[in-house]
Amino acid sequence: MEILHPDTPAGLAEALAAAGAARQRIRLGGAFTKNRMGGPVGPADAVVSTDRLTRVLQYEPKDLTISVEAGLRVAELNRVLAENRQMVPLDPPFGAQATVGGVLAANCTGPRRRLYGTGRDLVIGMKFATLRGELIQTGGMVVKNVAGLDMGKLLVGSFGTLAAMAVVNFKLIPMPPETGTFAQRFETAVDLLEARDRLVRGVLQPAAVDLLNPAAARRVGLDGFVLLVQAGGNRAVMARYASELTRAEALDDGIWERVREFTPEFLGEHASGMVERRWSTLEGMRAVMELKEPVVARGGNGVAWVYHANGETYRGAGVMEWGPEDGTGRAAGWPEPGAELDVMRRIKNMFDPAGLLNAGRLYGRI
Amino acid sequence: MIPAAAHQEVLAVVGPRGVLDRPEDLTLYEYDGSVDKARPDMVAFPRSTEEVAALVRIANKYHLPFVGRGAGTGLSGGMVARAGGLMISFARMNRILEIDLPNERVVVQPGVVNLDVTLAVQGDGYFYAPDPSSQRACTIGGNVSENAGGPHTLAYGVTTNHVLGLEVVLPDGSIVTTGGKETDQPGYDLTGLFTGNEGTMVLVTKVWLRLMRAPEMVKTILAIYNSAEDAGRTVQEITARAITPVAVEMLDGLMLRMVEEATGAGYPLDAAAVLLIELEGLKEAVEEQVEQIRQCCAACNAREFRIARSAEERDLLWKGRKNAFGAVGRVASAYYVQDGVVPRTQIAGTLRVIGEVADRHGLKISNIFHAGDGNMHPIIMFDKHKPGDLERAQRAGEEILEHCIRVGGSITGEHGVGMEKNEMMGHLFDEASLAMIGRFKNLFDPECRLNPGKVLPLGKGCMEIRQRPLSAASEI
Repeated sequence: MEILHPDTPAGLAEALAAAGAARQRIRLGGAFTKNRMGGPVGPADAVVSTDRLTRVLQYEPKDLTISVEAGLRVAELNRVLAENRQMVPLDPPFGAQATVGGVLAANCTGPRRRLYGTGRDLVIGMKFATLRGELIQTGGMVVKNVAGLDMGKLLVGSFGTLAAMAVVNFKLIPMPPETGTFAQRFETAVDLLEARDRLVRGVLQPAAVDLLNPAAARRVGLDGFVLLVQAGGNRAVMARYASELTRAEALDDGIWERVREFTPEFLGEHASGMVERRWSTLEGMRAVMELKEPVVARGGNGVAWVYHANGETYRGAGVMEWGPEDGTGRAAGWPEPGAELDVMRRIKNMFDPAGLLNAGRLYGRI
Repeated sequence: MIPAAAHQEVLAVVGPRGVLDRPEDLTLYEYDGSVDKARPDMVAFPRSTEEVAALVRIANKYHLPFVGRGAGTGLSGGMVARAGGLMISFARMNRILEIDLPNERVVVQPGVVNLDVTLAVQGDGYFYAPDPSSQRACTIGGNVSENAGGPHTLAYGVTTNHVLGLEVVLPDGSIVTTGGKETDQPGYDLTGLFTGNEGTMVLVTKVWLRLMRAPEMVKTILAIYNSAEDAGRTVQEITARAITPVAVEMLDGLMLRMVEEATGAGYPLDAAAVLLIELEGLKEAVEEQVEQIRQCCAACNAREFRIARSAEERDLLWKGRKNAFGAVGRVASAYYVQDGVVPRTQIAGTLRVIGEVADRHGLKISNIFHAGDGNMHPIIMFDKHKPGDLERAQRAGEEILEHCIRVGGSITGEHGVGMEKNEMMGHLFDEASLAMIGRFKNLFDPECRLNPGKVLPLGKGCMEIRQRPLSAASEI
């Protein structure tokens, strides 16, 4: 199969236009770390990778903004930013290889979203390439901007089914002077969620509020139902967390890499493994935390990931976010879409009437 | 004009007391907070989503343009009925439907006033973050349509960062729900696409909002300067030291004298500029940041540094800021507010350019703005009875926006493009990007009936069917 590696945004637009004109089905990606995500992925005639779009185009630390090409690895982005004690705190899985464009297209999020938000909150502008060969600008390089439709929101989480991100502009977050990680352990999910409630209803503003059930905790070297908290601030703030989170164990921040890479490690061990994403209110998380399968949840956001060793334990409560290596068992990937799916299909049709781009990536529905 | 049959059908939906159509009533609905005017032929006041959908179907049946209206506080002509027709006011859809504190959510109808959301939950220690200066009057539906901002969006983000779900009526009359109380539902982020559509793609009929926990400590600081440039440098210094205030507002000398006369907020009359800086968070963090800000201000030649000693003092300082436009109204017969954004490092230079523009046009321009995120609000004062003065003010506004574009900024940070800056969009975006926005408009509103003549330069908005020529209806 033909693999194209354009190295400029214009080249990316040309590659899409050429493939589109030839009616080739296109598999679009960055580092292709997420081949098992969002499928079942349809067949393709050509592969377009953004992996050579790796330049930092504009970075003015005093403006707290950066503009980068979509193929830049998130790890490299944060390495550049760390020189000025700044960050884009997305914390995606496959953190070492994943590209900016891939992480945003898949809307991968991480533990610190409780405080810093997700891709939709951190992106302030974008250039994307369409099948018509255009480079479309949306947003810009300032943190507050309502000129024109916010098409960037639509591209984030679109799995490359509409267009290809070429350039992404972020707002930047200053790193806190210090960070600390705290773990509290509980016997039951009820106790765990009560502790979570006390935390999020109080005045502390932790960056991350993660929940692990015992099966998940074991995989990262902990035990019981675990409330895992990360906070940032000065020394006095850290001391405050230590005193208010009663009976909490202070852990090394390194535990977060285990949490962030939980999905890649699980999938690496289970060729027929699946990862289900469930969404609920904060109050609605008890049932999912009590499952026997490993469960990692963003306790401050109501999102949980359930790790199935194979398809037998999946009951169709959420979407099948990651599937088996061979692509089977994915028919019910998005069980119950509502009337909004029709609007989504009309948008897809506007961008890609022949259905050439990343077919099947939206859980087989788009 | 509305055909008699259409008139009857509208009455059948909303009742005789749900309609205004006498010229003296319609006059009140022909403007917002900006300078453009156009009169709708009829205003209808639905009470439910179904009634909104029914009104949209009537508009389609009789080929009427239609537009939604919240409180009419907008600053870009977003709700002005540029092509006449039916105006759908959300004034009667003003109920808070559900307050769900354990899940940090509130569900509201579009006509709920912004501040009323916070007032409903603040007793329990929560707040709704976006706080436009018009928050005592403006509505959530309008906020969503325009993606409204406010001083505290520096730390907390603008409306789009706090809207989790929408119920909307599409221009074909169908009702669609996107998102809801739960985040991370699969599929495209239609909620994000619709927020900030400026009422040109959908009518918002229900909104799911995120609530935030009120901070433990709030400190409000007034830093006083003999030079506006020093105030601008302070903003850079705050960023350079990684201090994260929740609001950094700047008022220039002209503005703070007008504000002081109107509100008695305690602003100094002889200063060249003040910064209003707010810090929020844990006590331990805020106390340290107050000291850091004090050092920044001193390093940038602030002549005085005051901390509000009580909630009353704090409220008074904010009252001065939030009532600034009213204060201007006492001094100038008319004014025109711009909303350009520049990168934070360009604030001092932009203030100089604004001064030059004012001199060149012989106009008074005063500045009050969200300095922390570079969102400038030059207020251009003019005499509406003097021929040519409005045009001069508009030309001055355009020159300021052209500067904002030149230094890498935007023409609007929170007010929207509307019918005020739509011709400027061609300076900010290339043809392909404008055409893409037009394709979205066309996808949702192929007949170009919903709020025509907005956002895009005229002639680029509606691709298949051209609306009737728009009269330049603005006799001011």
